[in-house]
Amino acid sequence: MSVTRDDVLRIAQLAELEVDEESLPTLVEQMSRILDYVAQLSAATGNNGQRPFVPGPDAIRFRPDEENPWPLAVGPDKLAPAFKGGFFVVPKLDQFE
Amino acid sequence: MTGEGKSAADRLVKVKRLNALLTPVKELRKSLNEQASAARPTGVLYGMPVAVKDNICTLEFTTTCGSKILEGYRSPYEATAITKLKAAGALIAGKTNCDEFAMGSSTEHSAYGRSIHPLDKTRVPGGSSGGSAALVAAGAVPAALGSETGGSVRQPASFCGVVGIKPTYGRVSRYGLVAFGSSLDQIGALGRSVHDAARVLSVISGRDPKDATCEDRDPLRLPTVPESLQSFVIGLPREYFPSDLDPAVRRACDRAIRLMKEQGAAVREVSLPHTQYAVPTYYVIAPAEASSNLARFDGVRYGPRAEDVGDVRALYRKTRGEGFGPEVRRRILVGTYVLSSGYYDAYYRRAQQMRALIAQDFRNAFDRGVDLLFTPTTPTPAFKAGEKLNDPVAMYLSDVFTVTANLAGLPAISVPIGRVKGLPVGGQFIGQAFLEDEMLEAAYALERVVPATEEA
Repeated sequence: MSVTRDDVLRIAQLAELEVDEESLPTLVEQMSRILDYVAQLSAATGNNGQRPFVPGPDAIRFRPDEENPWPLAVGPDKLAPAFKGGFFVVPKLDQFE
Repeated sequence: MTGEGKSAADRLVKVKRLNALLTPVKELRKSLNEQASAARPTGVLYGMPVAVKDNICTLEFTTTCGSKILEGYRSPYEATAITKLKAAGALIAGKTNCDEFAMGSSTEHSAYGRSIHPLDKTRVPGGSSGGSAALVAAGAVPAALGSETGGSVRQPASFCGVVGIKPTYGRVSRYGLVAFGSSLDQIGALGRSVHDAARVLSVISGRDPKDATCEDRDPLRLPTVPESLQSFVIGLPREYFPSDLDPAVRRACDRAIRLMKEQGAAVREVSLPHTQYAVPTYYVIAPAEASSNLARFDGVRYGPRAEDVGDVRALYRKTRGEGFGPEVRRRILVGTYVLSSGYYDAYYRRAQQMRALIAQDFRNAFDRGVDLLFTPTTPTPAFKAGEKLNDPVAMYLSDVFTVTANLAGLPAISVPIGRVKGLPVGGQFIGQAFLEDEMLEAAYALERVVPATEEA
């Protein structure tokens, strides 16, 4: 799986990483070699449908997606002059004009 | 200056030529003096100097991760492992050189210059915890902390002729360890002997409410040195002894296996059939996690910031482009690529599935009555500096025997088992999850009988 100069520049943009023209040819060559090497995973048989393995405590792996109470000693409605429907009410911008 | 602090500082200064220590001498002496005065005399590690890899946060010294992007960075908090070491009376003996953000196998990818192998200056000490291994091997400290994502404690331990332990994932808190690959990272210990490394591991292990990935378990209890290996069944995975294995490494392993048999161990061949996919699996998962973890280093929150930039995105790009070295840039790009739309399934999902099969291989071997596995730690002894710098895949393959334990979250230890033309060779035990005590017993027994400094 070879990558082109444009591929590397596009990925660098996604990664917020400046890549200078000088190092670009080496990066293209080395990334292509790395991706060629890891592409052998596609040729491996017998792993389709396998559930991903994640190490660590079960509590992390299977933590229920539950809404918890406010962790604050005082709720946000007490912290702001106006609080409505779960949001802080702020003045409209045109009121400052 | 107090006795312990002064002698620790003197020994570290003597091996300055190794470029293994990043902390300036003056700062080190001052801190060691203060720490020695404050250390608890009742602690189990009282007065023991422990050097610390530079990706573990300390209050006493800067934490740069061997990177320009964190030059001069001083963490406002310290790692739980450091707090526990200090509570046990240990002295934090400076920060050690490493591959940038722990990405590398030679400590050549440090922004602060490469570290030198203590026995041969033309060779590398391994990596990424190469500075820690070199200092222990040179006798500057009895023990050091390193970190593992794919073998970064065991591989340099093997190259330098010291002991390196990687605990089970979840055995040691990662709070304060700068994240690289969060599903793989663990803090490990290096020592002159199994006992030195195990003592440090025992102190830093155990529950920590600050790290949700740390298991709710008591600290590791150190086993006693066994009389023999009578009750042990040791598996030899055939995939770790390929026909092209360095003949001298094979000789050293054969000798260690013979000595274990003489100690009463039952030895049997086993198979871990997905081993051939371990390195490609690792080099998809680790860069993917790294690309996410390293997104935070943008010149706004940490370290130096690029100048003369037009807007905030240009600031991010220029700071990161200038601050990260070539290996880190390469891995961020590979990681971003394998996570990007259109490639996620082909690379990342596939690698996650393969990781499950690799972990299953180990479970199958242990289910068949094997207590531990024994393998070479590395395919060759320490290689020459520069030899693999321009060939990332060749460099990655030096981790071929170590990455599997990280992928499966298992404990493993490298013990010196002989020399090849004067260079150390390590043998590795891989244990069952949270059975470090069993693994340490076997390591104690092997260490006692193997002629670790003799040619194999």
